[in-house]
Amino acid sequence: MSQQLEEMKNAVLEGDEVLASRLAHYALQNHLDMKQVMDEGFLRGIQEAGVLYEQGEYYLPDLVCSADAMKCALEILDAEIKKPTSGVASKGKVVLASVQGDVHDIGKIIVGAMLTASGYEVTDLGPDVPNDLVIERAVEIHADLIGLSALLTTTMEEQRNIVNRLKEWGIREKYKLIVGGAPVTHQWASGIGADGYSDDAVGAVALVDGLIE
Amino acid sequence: MNMTGNVLSQGEMDSVHRQSIKILEEVGVQFPDEGVLSMLEKKGAVIDWEKKTARISESMVTNALATAPKEFTLGGRNPEHDFALPSTYSALNLDGTGVYALDPATGDKRYGVLQDIGNAAKVFEAIPLGKVLWPPIVASDCPGGTRNLMGAAISMIHCSKHLQDEVKHVEEIPFLLGMLKAILGSEQAIRDRKIYSVTYCTVAPLMHDRDMMLANMELTKLHVPILVYPMPACGSTGPASLYSNVALANAEALSAIVLFQAATPGTPLIFGTAQGVIHRKTGLFLEGAPETVLQGVAMAQMGKRYGLPVTIAGCLTDAKEPGMQAVLEKVLTTLPLTLAKTDVIQGIGLLESSMTLSLEQILIDAEIGELCQRMGEGIEVSPEKDFYADVAQVGQGGHFLKQPSTRSGFRSSEYYNPSLLDRETYDQWCNLGSPNMFSQASDKVRNILNAEPSCPLPLDTEIAIREIMEEMRHKG
Repeated sequence: MSQQLEEMKNAVLEGDEVLASRLAHYALQNHLDMKQVMDEGFLRGIQEAGVLYEQGEYYLPDLVCSADAMKCALEILDAEIKKPTSGVASKGKVVLASVQGDVHDIGKIIVGAMLTASGYEVTDLGPDVPNDLVIERAVEIHADLIGLSALLTTTMEEQRNIVNRLKEWGIREKYKLIVGGAPVTHQWASGIGADGYSDDAVGAVALVDGLIE
Repeated sequence: MNMTGNVLSQGEMDSVHRQSIKILEEVGVQFPDEGVLSMLEKKGAVIDWEKKTARISESMVTNALATAPKEFTLGGRNPEHDFALPSTYSALNLDGTGVYALDPATGDKRYGVLQDIGNAAKVFEAIPLGKVLWPPIVASDCPGGTRNLMGAAISMIHCSKHLQDEVKHVEEIPFLLGMLKAILGSEQAIRDRKIYSVTYCTVAPLMHDRDMMLANMELTKLHVPILVYPMPACGSTGPASLYSNVALANAEALSAIVLFQAATPGTPLIFGTAQGVIHRKTGLFLEGAPETVLQGVAMAQMGKRYGLPVTIAGCLTDAKEPGMQAVLEKVLTTLPLTLAKTDVIQGIGLLESSMTLSLEQILIDAEIGELCQRMGEGIEVSPEKDFYADVAQVGQGGHFLKQPSTRSGFRSSEYYNPSLLDRETYDQWCNLGSPNMFSQASDKVRNILNAEPSCPLPLDTEIAIREIMEEMRHKG
């Protein structure tokens, strides 16, 4: 078991999606303890990747690869993890979108990968998502948090529009809402009534951790 | 001879071209509009209707390059500022779509407003090398859908040089044409004088934005010049090697050239790029990095290879405030482009990866541009500069101060006279209040903003433009 757990950790650490998937299947087929698989296997990999990133040995692409390997394992283990008996708790459900009219989404993709790796269930709606669709999907999946990305000054207004739309529908308080993108600032975020802002993906995870406790 | 600098050999340029053609032929480019795809199919493209992509052949590229004009003039509102392309020198432009401004009174960073754009236009008017004005930031105090055009309008009022901007949607065009007609009188004059051009950014990797694409195609009917401006970043929206990222950017540029020449053959196009690299840790787009300007030089060479005028993002910095890092990076990202004989270097006046406008920085960057220009002019070895007779006359141990050629030579263009650099003695510098470049620039900015405009619009024209601005503001 300890050897398999070490391999799980390394698969995530090295960003090996194929190996992470194979080990996740192995865990299912052999009815391994899910809490142990997560805490001593896959999660250790993403945690070590985070440490290497902080130390400057891992760059953003390394971290994204680790996050995506983690995501592959999580997708396979999803049903098992969600069983109350698994002992593994989801940290929360997040809906991400680049706002309507904005086709840029590389930053949001990175944030999504980081949040997934950190244990959140992320639904990424992609770029140029109509405002109402963002809200409808958040309602549909019972999201805890909505994250909105905008690269352009002309599209960042949609972040405000979605906040206002949530208020119109009387459901603003049901969701934490964070915003990001090049023209976005703390000042903007607070001005439109968002709950938070981060200027990079690692900070976004810390932000979400703080908002969903 | 002039000082020149390149990063690609002839063979390496051929390799970049071949890789770009391979990308266009085998990977293809997304054009998310059925009408556009049909048009490209008739020109020979292979269409994937589901993915909305077109695979473009080398012959399509060759045909498009053949119909793109190799020479044209970007008109100024004031004809004295007409700017002929290709240029014999590297002109300067601001960089558009920034977000913030350093407040001229307090120096504090805040969201940019319309008045900042007007002020920038006034300062830009005073720069000799400044020939093309892209409103540098987006006015946060204007309604969302009008911000581009409001910036263009206030720039037309306060600057008489050529104006360049983005048009993001066809709905903006009637307002734009209304303003241009107010200045020029007719659509024919818009076509003839070319006082306005558009910046067209492809979306990396290998995509076109539908609204912007259709709007720019509409403008080709008036032969409005278009700057094609790809922006892939190594490792995020582009491959991690500089060579392949150049090939990708080149492929995107060529796809835009094919698009606009298919829409209206003969549309004047400027070949450009604002590609770069990301910070490997944070993912931030880095503008002041050597790897960014190296790619810019490569693209300048590719544009020249295709016989097109060239605009490249340069004079850039990632510094958050004016100072040593800003100047270091801006020189680093200007000189190589000057030496590569780039027609327009685009990026002066902005800090923080082109996010933040500083009026003082416009003047500091203009000085950098002038100094780099002087470097590029090199050393003239000619009969006119052969002063052997002076050497023979002065002989050993004398001096050249009184030679007629010294007095005239010092007044020639061989010597650049900087406007912001300190070249005083120490005591003189102290007596002047120990000025630095920034304080000198601040004084000049203040003088420019307080001065009467050098080339104001006729009052009725300004009123007409302000009425269009009000109409836009009303419609939101």
